[in-house]
Amino acid sequence: MSGAPPPRIILDEAPGPARRLDFGWDQAVAPAAPPSGRGWSSLALAAAGAGVLILGFALLDAANFVAAQFARGTAPGLVTLAVAAAGFGLLGVALLREARGYLALRGVDRARAAHARGDVAALRREIAAWAERLPPGRVSLGALDEMPMDALSALVEAKLLAPLAQEAAALGRAAALQAFAVTAVSPSPGLDAAIFAWRGVRLVRQVAALHGLRPGLAGTLALLKRVAVDAGAVAATDVAVDAVVRGLLSSPLAEHVAGEAAAAAVAARRMILLARAADEACRILPRPR
Amino acid sequence: MDPLALLRGVLGTAEDAARALIGRERLRLAVTGLSRAGKTVFLTSLIANLLAAGRGARTLPALSEAAGGRIRRVFVVPADTETVPRFDPEAHLAALAADPPRWPERTEDFSTLAIALDVQRRTSLGGLLPERRVTLDLIDYPGEWLLDLPLLGTGYAAWSAETLARLERGSRAAAAAAFLDFVKGLPPEAPAEDALARRGYALYRDALRACRDTHGLRFLQPGRFLNPGPRGEAPLLWFFPLPATARGGLAALCARRYAAYLEDQRATFLDPFFTRFHRQVVLVDVLGALHAGQEAFEDTAEALAAIAGVISGATRVERLLGAAPTRVAFAATKADHVPSRARDALAALLAHLAQGARGRAEASGAATAFHALAAIRCTEDAVATLEGQNVAAVRGVLLQEGRAATIYPGEVPMRPPDPAFWQAGFFRMPEFRPPRLDPSGAAGVPHLGLDALLAWLFGDAL
Repeated sequence: MSGAPPPRIILDEAPGPARRLDFGWDQAVAPAAPPSGRGWSSLALAAAGAGVLILGFALLDAANFVAAQFARGTAPGLVTLAVAAAGFGLLGVALLREARGYLALRGVDRARAAHARGDVAALRREIAAWAERLPPGRVSLGALDEMPMDALSALVEAKLLAPLAQEAAALGRAAALQAFAVTAVSPSPGLDAAIFAWRGVRLVRQVAALHGLRPGLAGTLALLKRVAVDAGAVAATDVAVDAVVRGLLSSPLAEHVAGEAAAAAVAARRMILLARAADEACRILPRPR
Repeated sequence: MDPLALLRGVLGTAEDAARALIGRERLRLAVTGLSRAGKTVFLTSLIANLLAAGRGARTLPALSEAAGGRIRRVFVVPADTETVPRFDPEAHLAALAADPPRWPERTEDFSTLAIALDVQRRTSLGGLLPERRVTLDLIDYPGEWLLDLPLLGTGYAAWSAETLARLERGSRAAAAAAFLDFVKGLPPEAPAEDALARRGYALYRDALRACRDTHGLRFLQPGRFLNPGPRGEAPLLWFFPLPATARGGLAALCARRYAAYLEDQRATFLDPFFTRFHRQVVLVDVLGALHAGQEAFEDTAEALAAIAGVISGATRVERLLGAAPTRVAFAATKADHVPSRARDALAALLAHLAQGARGRAEASGAATAFHALAAIRCTEDAVATLEGQNVAAVRGVLLQEGRAATIYPGEVPMRPPDPAFWQAGFFRMPEFRPPRLDPSGAAGVPHLGLDALLAWLFGDAL
């Protein structure tokens, strides 16, 4: 073979089966870790500081006041303690509820991440936890053990997410009707905007409740942020349609016929879009293609 | 081009245009290769690595770069045809990851799979607009059947003359001795006896099998004689080549069955799957051909040219209708069987081997490229000491024995070797165990050069 030695196989001297090669492929191709983003922003630090100061000094003041009352006598001391405990207890419950509402949203992120990286065990856990949080009256998912990823996703979609999307759409239509009626008859554009914003926030919270998320104030703010992001994606397909609707309804003829109803129709259409975006933001699995 | 095909072409072109308009392109990728070229493993690796890339894993860096990092999701599309089996990458991957591992069996039937890539648009407003979806249509089939394509334009008499002449040359003559004796012993006026037709068929089929399995030859027709597929050895196959002197009923029977066979292959295999392609990859086991000797090497080149002449050799009308592939990639498979420094030589040798095929593809307006790839990498580079000198080799675990071994695959020339090269004789490259794999395919499978091939093949369409 032109000077070169002929091909040959040289068996290793070590007897017995050899281990399969391992190129460390799994580690080599692992997705780049996203920036952790766990650092607090300056605004969050300032808000936390203000919260600690207000709550801390309020607690200290209350404790001093209770101690002073006890110095005056046992009865006024006990009454003051009861009032302080009740007030701070209610405040604590409210904070706890806020935290739970906010953390429930994180569950959606965790489930989606598990779905994206193909971790079926983690997805099963997240889905089971999410199904327990759903309002009563929903169908049960049944045993999820040993179910592969695609079957699990299809089952959750068919049994829960598709009906939820329909109900979210129904909520959107109801809100749209109200927005249409209110903005058509309201006396000032400023009031229109206020009503629209209030109804929009309420709609988002209603859709979140459908998905087992009961967001408090912090949860609602986080949810609105997500909805704004998802609305970009959802509304993108509707940009053209929206422009046409606006063009048609804002045309001199339509204005003549419908008057203010033209703007109201656009507002109503946005409500339907908002319901879809909220559903998109809350669903535990990405929408099937 | 018959009017019906023209109409189908026009409809196909209209569909392509409409899909492009709404950002839902469909890309038909022809994965062609002779038998044992590695089509099934290529498809399994392609699907597993694309799906993993869709989940963010960096399994196909060159493709990701070609797409500008805009691939958002990759998923298998539900089949829109119920009659063709679905290609099952999960089962193939599970078999490869099992202990002991199994390579896919010889493909005996069609299977298809469509895989969709959601990609962000290229424009600066791409983030706001809906994503484009490019669907890749893939098909797996027995490689032997591919050689029925060139038969479509050949009549029985011409095919018989060519085949008998070829059977009398080189190592074919020994493999087909029994068949040739049988044919020579037949009287010219042999009657249309099914027993004779069947006997001739069996002898001819055995000759083809010996040519393939013992001598590493590939230009063996008809394809279903070697791989009858799910319908088995139906009477449709009971024919064989006869010399021009044969004029009796048997010759007429064989000619009739030859025509019926081609019609059946056209209706079930070629027309539904091989008439309209956008991109094509031709897989060639160059190393196997090189190790099998000069005759097998030249035979592979001839088979490649014959196939490419049909698939890529589009007419002007077909090109106008977009029915011809615009990119044809030739890939030398099993590149992990040679050390990394020899892989360029492998691709260069393929360029010479597929010169005829390349010429046909370029003549019909397609761009061509040559690659060396291992759909599943099973070896690592090593150094062996032979006759006192260090040579580059590869190291892997043998499939059957389970023992580790260092393999020196010999010199890989960059151009067709001179006669002295072939004196080394036949060398059969052993099969290797695949490396440790995740049966779920979450991280794809290790490969060599698959990403560069895919980036060239359809990176521009993303």
